[in-house]
Amino acid sequence: MPERETVQTLCRMCDDRCAINVYLEDGKIVDIDGYKEHPWNRGRLCVKARAAVDMVYHPERLLKPLKRTKRGFEEIPLQQALDEIAERLLAIKDKHGARSISIWKGEAIGFAQEEDMARRFVHALGSPNYFSNDSMCYNGRYFGYRLVEGSWPVPDYENSRCVVIWGANPPHAHPNMTQMIMRARKAGAKLIVVDPRMSAIARQADLHADLKPGTDGALALGLIQQLIETQGYDREFVEHYTVGFTELAEYAKAFSPERVEEQTGVAAAVVRELARTIAAAAPRVAVYVGNGPEHHENGINNIRAVACLDAILGALDREGGNRLVEGFKANHLTLYDEIPLEHLGPIGADRFPVLYGFRQECHTMTGINTILSGEPYPIRAMILTAANPALTNPNTLKVREALGSLDLFVVRDLFMTPTAELADYVLPAASFLERVELHTHAKYQRITMTRKILKFPDVQDEYQFWHDLAHRLGIGEYFPWEDETELTRWILEPTDISLERAAAHPEGIEYTPIRYRKWEKEPFNTPSGKVEFSSQYLKDLGYPALPEYKPPAYLESPDPEYPFVLITGARKLIYYHSRFRNIKRFRTAIPGPEVELHPEDAAALGVADGDSIRITSRIGSVEVPAKIKSAVEILPGTLQMTHGWKEANVNLLTHDDRFDPISGFPLMKAVEVQVENV
Amino acid sequence: MRIVEVDPTSCVACRNCEYACAFKQTGDFDIKDSNIRVNFYPEERACIPWTCVHCGEGWCMEVCPAGAILRNPETGAVEIDANHCAGCKMCLLACPSGSIHFDKVELVSKKCDLCGGDPACVKFCTSGALQFVEEEEAYSFRRESLDNKLKRLFGLNKRGS
Amino acid sequence: MQIVIIGNSAAGLSALSRFRSIDRESPITLISAESGTAYSKVLLPYYLRRKIPYENLFIRRPEDYTQAGIKTEFGVKVKRVDTESHTLTLEDGRTIGFARLLIATGSRPFLPPIEGLAGANVYHLWTLSDTEQLDSLFRPGQRALVIGSGFIALQAAWAAQQRGLKVTVFELLPRIMPTVLDDRAAAVLRQKVEEHGVEVRIGIHTEAVERTRKGLLRVQTKGHPPLDVDLIIVGAGVRPNTELLDGSPVQIDRGIPVDEYMETNVPGIYAAGDVARGPTAFGETHQTHALWPTAVEHGRIAGANMAGRSVPYQGSLNMNVTEMFGITVASMGKFIEDEGLTSHVIDEAGQSRYVKIILREGIPIGAVALGDADDTVILGRLRPWIRNQRSLPDVGGFLEGRYLLPRQVA
Repeated sequence: MPERETVQTLCRMCDDRCAINVYLEDGKIVDIDGYKEHPWNRGRLCVKARAAVDMVYHPERLLKPLKRTKRGFEEIPLQQALDEIAERLLAIKDKHGARSISIWKGEAIGFAQEEDMARRFVHALGSPNYFSNDSMCYNGRYFGYRLVEGSWPVPDYENSRCVVIWGANPPHAHPNMTQMIMRARKAGAKLIVVDPRMSAIARQADLHADLKPGTDGALALGLIQQLIETQGYDREFVEHYTVGFTELAEYAKAFSPERVEEQTGVAAAVVRELARTIAAAAPRVAVYVGNGPEHHENGINNIRAVACLDAILGALDREGGNRLVEGFKANHLTLYDEIPLEHLGPIGADRFPVLYGFRQECHTMTGINTILSGEPYPIRAMILTAANPALTNPNTLKVREALGSLDLFVVRDLFMTPTAELADYVLPAASFLERVELHTHAKYQRITMTRKILKFPDVQDEYQFWHDLAHRLGIGEYFPWEDETELTRWILEPTDISLERAAAHPEGIEYTPIRYRKWEKEPFNTPSGKVEFSSQYLKDLGYPALPEYKPPAYLESPDPEYPFVLITGARKLIYYHSRFRNIKRFRTAIPGPEVELHPEDAAALGVADGDSIRITSRIGSVEVPAKIKSAVEILPGTLQMTHGWKEANVNLLTHDDRFDPISGFPLMKAVEVQVENV
Repeated sequence: MRIVEVDPTSCVACRNCEYACAFKQTGDFDIKDSNIRVNFYPEERACIPWTCVHCGEGWCMEVCPAGAILRNPETGAVEIDANHCAGCKMCLLACPSGSIHFDKVELVSKKCDLCGGDPACVKFCTSGALQFVEEEEAYSFRRESLDNKLKRLFGLNKRGS
Repeated sequence: MQIVIIGNSAAGLSALSRFRSIDRESPITLISAESGTAYSKVLLPYYLRRKIPYENLFIRRPEDYTQAGIKTEFGVKVKRVDTESHTLTLEDGRTIGFARLLIATGSRPFLPPIEGLAGANVYHLWTLSDTEQLDSLFRPGQRALVIGSGFIALQAAWAAQQRGLKVTVFELLPRIMPTVLDDRAAAVLRQKVEEHGVEVRIGIHTEAVERTRKGLLRVQTKGHPPLDVDLIIVGAGVRPNTELLDGSPVQIDRGIPVDEYMETNVPGIYAAGDVARGPTAFGETHQTHALWPTAVEHGRIAGANMAGRSVPYQGSLNMNVTEMFGITVASMGKFIEDEGLTSHVIDEAGQSRYVKIILREGIPIGAVALGDADDTVILGRLRPWIRNQRSLPDVGGFLEGRYLLPRQVA
């Protein structure tokens, strides 16, 4: 019998960070299941987790550094690859300046503090140009809530009497959030789902508002109007802890249930019922906003309008409402204070000052344009770690052209991706089972340390890579720690949690007890110190101070040539963005891409389930099999297509020049298209 | 004994359980191989997971002409011994809830065996709709709303109409 | 309380285990005319076509009897039952007393009155020894005639075909499986049978069987040239084994009529299985099914009542299923269309799929399914509706997989 060993760590097959038992025999991982002691997932897992075994030992896994040559990619020794990359980076730095070097961080390997390593590296090198996937996902919601409440709160599901899931589908995107929502329902909470589709979570909704894509703001303002009109708001909280209520109330007046119905398609009676339901449950109303509202041209103000509900209901930082998270006060790797580089003109910071101001991130789509144009200054080198913009950023053809034109393009990943295929060097990256790092579960205010369970000879963990490269570039002083374990020890230094203690608690350690009503003693993290229904900060930047609603373009000025509206990016349980298409059994379950459509649209087009249809936008066209949903699952005239498929890449259709003006998020969930039966 | 309790008021038909079970049986994700099934009815917005309840007097077990269906003394699970199953399908006809299916490759009947006492479907159920609980405590959650939903769905209030 | 059970198959064994689950003390004697531990009649064709090994035919080990505290008398027939003195007389002259008796003697195959049929090289597929005999005779290239086209006859035909014999099936009536299938379903199955190289002749009247000098059987039929075969397998129904009751006051009428407690007209004497005529789910009081599941149910009820419980039988619901010629055939309840009945039919000829549900005033009373095993699952789910006489307004929905939990929400 081989020796069986069990190690606990966290799963990073998606962003949920579930605790897992990893079972090893003779040092090889043979199985994974849920670890019951961690409060986050209580031993439950989705089926992606077990597939980590397949992923780490996948026959297509990159295990050797590759260099592009005339004969294609060839293996080269790791040290030589690092030497050559360093040499070429120095040459580019000499010729075009440090800011011509950029970093792009992705989500393909499931990072924790690795993000800050990348930020540290690029700043140490003297460039402000840090790009990431967050400017396509997450940042939008963060901005919306931070502008109103000072940070993005976490829903206190289990104590709530009404859970509102707004443009999110937890069963597929955050599987373990589902059990939290269902626990709330079992205790009597109502579930409201706002989504143009009957998503998986909507199947259990007490009320499902199937609004037209991009009209979230109208619905939120309609709810605000109703709550104010029916006196269903928390007068005391609004009076003491908010600014701009009068202006917001005045603005919201125009959003009567009838006007909301006309904008959103949600019946006026349903709007009233929604308002009644949340008012009855207030202040125990927990609202989670997903990726849905982000990808619109009025995304941030729509999200701001939803965020305003927390304060109006008095649900903010109250039990059963949306709780403001207290952070883990550890050492941070970033160098924004030590080496401020804003004067060097971070790409996109001028046009999207909130993006850089709040997150110190550059704007990826502007970055792509900059690479191609050299304006306002050249970007000639990029180290891209675990991202796949050649599939996941809008306007794929342009992305490919830009990345392919760099003087030096280095990609780190687990597998050869369409993005990696454009690289000069492809370096094998370490999976989450090959790294030590600290993860935070904001909901429980816990930190959990992951374990390095595997090691492959030529595969560097993220820290080792930045460390080795930094030392070759003369910025080794910023990476003094011998390895990621020592780094982790340093991160924990200012806290009362030692590395050893963290290692001994796979169930996580609460770093600070959960408190509610912190606003009674502490100001909000906003310029005014209060909840900001109206934002002077935005006004000063030239944006509307209030969360104004602007109808999506497809409604305001319909284009008869492109009469359908395409939602992109709804998640599937077993795929995570462009990942996992090479897990064989996943392909058995969901063999390929498909586009969801309404049965009446299918009938009008003469399309049967599984027939190929051609979808065309102003910039491109794809052919994809049709998936005819039932009439209650998707709105007529609306299509949905999930991203990340090489076989039918939806980002051949999406625009890289239509943004939310505050966040710079691209329009990806209301793309005007035409459809043909082929 | 403990059984897999299914709660249609928490299920979202995400199919984790079906994938996990199929994987346990075959290493693949063909949900036809799963011993737990989830039916989703969009019009009624109903998600109904269903698997074997390991009946006290399992009719499948009594009727099996091969004596191949036996109760596991440790877990209480009603199990099919594939080495003794002749593939006659009598159990398929005997089960009132459709919890047994026929494996068209191995040509034997297949059903839930509670994974030896640690059912994968429950471990991979992220909604909490599946719970592994003592038989006597199972279905204590049932409320009027659920009964009404099921009755509507199954047309059971139309008796005699 | 001395218990005697005559019969070591489905009904007897089921009664035995039910009795023992209630009463661990009373002595039990189990008598069987066949020697050896219990085997499964249902599995005999599976062994014959080599789907299962010989040892899998046996569903009890010798120690199973001793562990349950059972005295066994195998390989001996009961000659007579004396209801006055409550004793049995065995063919070897011994007598055994009983307080309660279960007659589960089963049935034997029926030999139709065809001239010359009785004799050498004519077989049945009913007992283990029948099977062993056929097994030794099945040689590739041999020619076999199967008379009859019921479940057993066709399984015998399939086993013979699988073993390399050249097989012909004769059916007197104008379609195969006449008591199970309608014309359409029979045609679907017949095509499958013929695709496997088995010749099927329907509406054929066998007049005589002659034995040639070469040891062949020459089968004479009306209107066809004679057919020469090496062996004949007869599957033309069964008759109950009631001889042991001849001269006793236990009532016999094409079997032993029993009440809802599986008791005969003589108190303390019970009957179960093929030999018994018990109540059905449709309200008939005395019916013979000669089916394994009915025998199991009979035994279960009889065993409980013999142990002192008072458990009425809700009536048998005939069901049968088998796979042959690459297709699953299942039937249940009343599946023949008749006046006053409606039917819901799925007929996908290309897929060789045929499902029919028969309803009376919206209540399902029976069904037939041909094709995939998945349709057998549908029939299984339908069973509670038939049993509980529950209306099924949406048959189409049911067939699509709805209405899963009739008992849970009943």
